[in-house]
Amino acid sequence: MSLAVTAEQQELRATVRRWLADSAPMARVRELMATPTAFDPALWRGLAELGVLDLAVPEQYGGAGYGVQELAHVFDECGAALLPGPLLATLGLALPLLLATDDERARARHLPGIADGSTVATVAWLAPGAGWDSAGRSMGVTGGKLSGSASTVLDGMSADLVLAVAGTGDSAVVVAVDPTAPGVTRTAQPTLDQTRPLAQLHFDDVPCTPVGTGAHLLERALDTAGVLLAAEMVGGAQACLDMSVAYAKVRQQFGRPIGSFQAVKHKCAEVLVELEGARAAAAYAAWAAAENPAELPVVAPLAKAVAGEAYFRAAADNVQIHGGIGFTWEHDAHLYFKRAKTSLMLFGDTGAHRRTLADRIGL
Amino acid sequence: MSTGTPIAPAPSPIDYSPAAQEFRAEVRDWLAANAPDEMRGVQVPREPAPELAAALARWADTLAEAGYMCVAWPREYGGRGLSGVEVAIMNEEFARADVPRLTRGMGEGLVGPAIIAHATEEQKARFLPPIISGEHDYCQGFSEPEAGSDLAGLRTRGVLDGDHLVINGQKVWTSGFFKANMIFTLVRTNPDAAKHRGISYVLVPITVDGEPNGIEFRPITRMTGLAHFSETFFTDTRAPLDNVIGGLDNGWRVAMTTLGSERGGRATTQHLGFMRQFWRLVREVRERGLIDDVRVREQLAWAYSQVEVLRYTGLQLVAELAAGRSGAGLGNGSTTKIRWSEYERRLAEIAMDLLGPDALVVGPGYELDHWQEELLVTRSHTIWGGTAEVQRNIVAERVLGLPKDPAVAPARAAGGER
Ligand SMILES: Cc1cc2nc3c(=O)[nH]c(=O)nc-3n(C[C@H](O)[C@H](O)[C@H](O)COP(=O)(O)OP(=O)(O)OC[C@H]3O[C@@H](n4cnc5c(N)ncnc54)[C@H](O)[C@@H]3O)c2cc1C
Repeated sequence: MSLAVTAEQQELRATVRRWLADSAPMARVRELMATPTAFDPALWRGLAELGVLDLAVPEQYGGAGYGVQELAHVFDECGAALLPGPLLATLGLALPLLLATDDERARARHLPGIADGSTVATVAWLAPGAGWDSAGRSMGVTGGKLSGSASTVLDGMSADLVLAVAGTGDSAVVVAVDPTAPGVTRTAQPTLDQTRPLAQLHFDDVPCTPVGTGAHLLERALDTAGVLLAAEMVGGAQACLDMSVAYAKVRQQFGRPIGSFQAVKHKCAEVLVELEGARAAAAYAAWAAAENPAELPVVAPLAKAVAGEAYFRAAADNVQIHGGIGFTWEHDAHLYFKRAKTSLMLFGDTGAHRRTLADRIGL
Repeated sequence: MSTGTPIAPAPSPIDYSPAAQEFRAEVRDWLAANAPDEMRGVQVPREPAPELAAALARWADTLAEAGYMCVAWPREYGGRGLSGVEVAIMNEEFARADVPRLTRGMGEGLVGPAIIAHATEEQKARFLPPIISGEHDYCQGFSEPEAGSDLAGLRTRGVLDGDHLVINGQKVWTSGFFKANMIFTLVRTNPDAAKHRGISYVLVPITVDGEPNGIEFRPITRMTGLAHFSETFFTDTRAPLDNVIGGLDNGWRVAMTTLGSERGGRATTQHLGFMRQFWRLVREVRERGLIDDVRVREQLAWAYSQVEVLRYTGLQLVAELAAGRSGAGLGNGSTTKIRWSEYERRLAEIAMDLLGPDALVVGPGYELDHWQEELLVTRSHTIWGGTAEVQRNIVAERVLGLPKDPAVAPARAAGGER
């Protein structure tokens, strides 16, 4: 498989785009935003029927056997539509984490449910009140029971399966937990980006099943998540640029379209330049994840940082180009702005990704 | 055709056709047999010393004789008719063999394509072969003191005198004037026509039968201290009408010609020089014991990312071209130029900061070290060939479809080189 977009992938994108326009238009996004979990089981079933959820699940577990490249196209479209829902949690984090382990039984147990949409899965690793580098610090496993807390758990309220990372370094363990089991307390964390729900989970001696050992498992999953998030951000950035350009062509001031003022048109041009770079980085990263995994540790933080910056700029300039209307709750510009800034920060901000990159290229 | 050297064991992000792979093998085999040792590892400096200049000229002649010059031109005009993908492959193989891929500069990249698109067959036969052979070395006489970004405001006059044009006026910023023997220039042949309509594109010999042709170059010293461009004065300079390309008063269209198949071209190799430069900076930073500084690491990682993005955009474009598509929407000359020119500028600034007090001192005779030269030279990369602002106008108007500034006519798109 090459970097070139295949006819099949184009088809996939078009299908997802149509489905999003029909099933999850912005009005529906706003309705979901206003609910505590921002989760619509019907939309999730819809994604399953569309063949999106099983796309990157290997065939022996009931999946379609495609990979990150195809998934990246889906994330791109969903990012443009600001689709709320556990796509990133389930397919971006939990799935690659399960695939990173050698635990055949855990895969056989959980992957078919992910593929058919019956399992919403997520990963819990961050310590409450701590930074992005706090993986596993606030949880421990003794005698087969998980105790401790995790915060910033993507879609933690709607998950049917939680993969928790307990402990650090070589002694970190990844365990599978049923979040509805006795001893689990889930608390929704109201989010700045209301389309991306988070939860805090507390575990009190909860029975769990180990699925792997070592901090590198989470690292690998986070790399894949970063690649898919980069694709999602590219979709969002393109949506912002499209809005900016459309508005700049029609909004008149001083007797001419504001898009004829260089202060406005140069902003748009700069966004395009950055977006083009981000798109190439995200596409290359998805290719590498699928075809040349040895490169993934370098391209993942790189693509995530580049896409994060491009998205933030596109979203911020979109607010500015819209003037007063862009600052309102009613206009969609703020939804993208919030998604952009929080996505840029997710799993580590730009500086953190650059430091990781510096380590990984051997500086 | 080739001895079929096996190629590319690592996973490739580009699916090359069997024909493209065969072409790669052909170039690789030719280089293995013909690349001279004296060319290995040579990075062509901005100002090669005489000995190196002579060696480069020999290598250029070897390339021309073997058909590796002007390769994107059609075969019937002495080129090789290579597609963007094939030019990219050729660049990759030259990089792999670590020898410079020389071109005939503006003659190859600007004049030739304009001739191919607009000249008569007789003109093609007369002007194309000497570009390939290196016999004609062109400089570009477009800009004038009063006509820069708004190039069509040019005033240099061309007046008909029998079967000749007589040219009077002044050009400026003529790069490479000191080695050129031809100048391609734009002159106003119809002062009554609309701004873009009365211009002609003329190929003017700098001397005729060894005699001066009324062209005086007055060198201008650049901020680097070197006099690499000039003011250029035409005084009753004569050019046969046969040297007007595309017909009288049609020069604007001719000047705007770019070679379509240049797309691809350097896309997959342009990052190589930047990557080399990046690791050079890493080495210098390490030597100064700064590599563990968090801020330094973040800046270096930023630079690495930018260079990689250049590589990815190139690979993406060539992957699409190799798949038989146009690569539409994947970037164009303007977005690419904005990306690399602004990266280079920023990198030089960062490098200066990191090198500290040493970077404040130059050698005798204002001799600049690598980063000092970069700091200065890169300022011009957002000026020549259409300024950064003009590039942004082009991107906004032609790619995004934003409305033109009502007061501004179309600005220059493509232009000369350093
Ligand atoms: C190193 C170097 C080599 C060169 N070599 C050659 C050569 O070989 N042959 C040749 O003919 N020319 C050459 N040039 C000239 C070059 O093409 C011009 O300098 C360039 O087109 C800009 O014109 P100008 O210098 O007159 O600046 P101006 O056009 O006066 O521009 C000054 C400033 O105004 C801005 N500006 C102008 N118009 C607009 C607009 N519409 N919107 C926004 N901003 C605008 C510009 O971006 C710039 O920042 C060379 C220049 C350099 C620096």
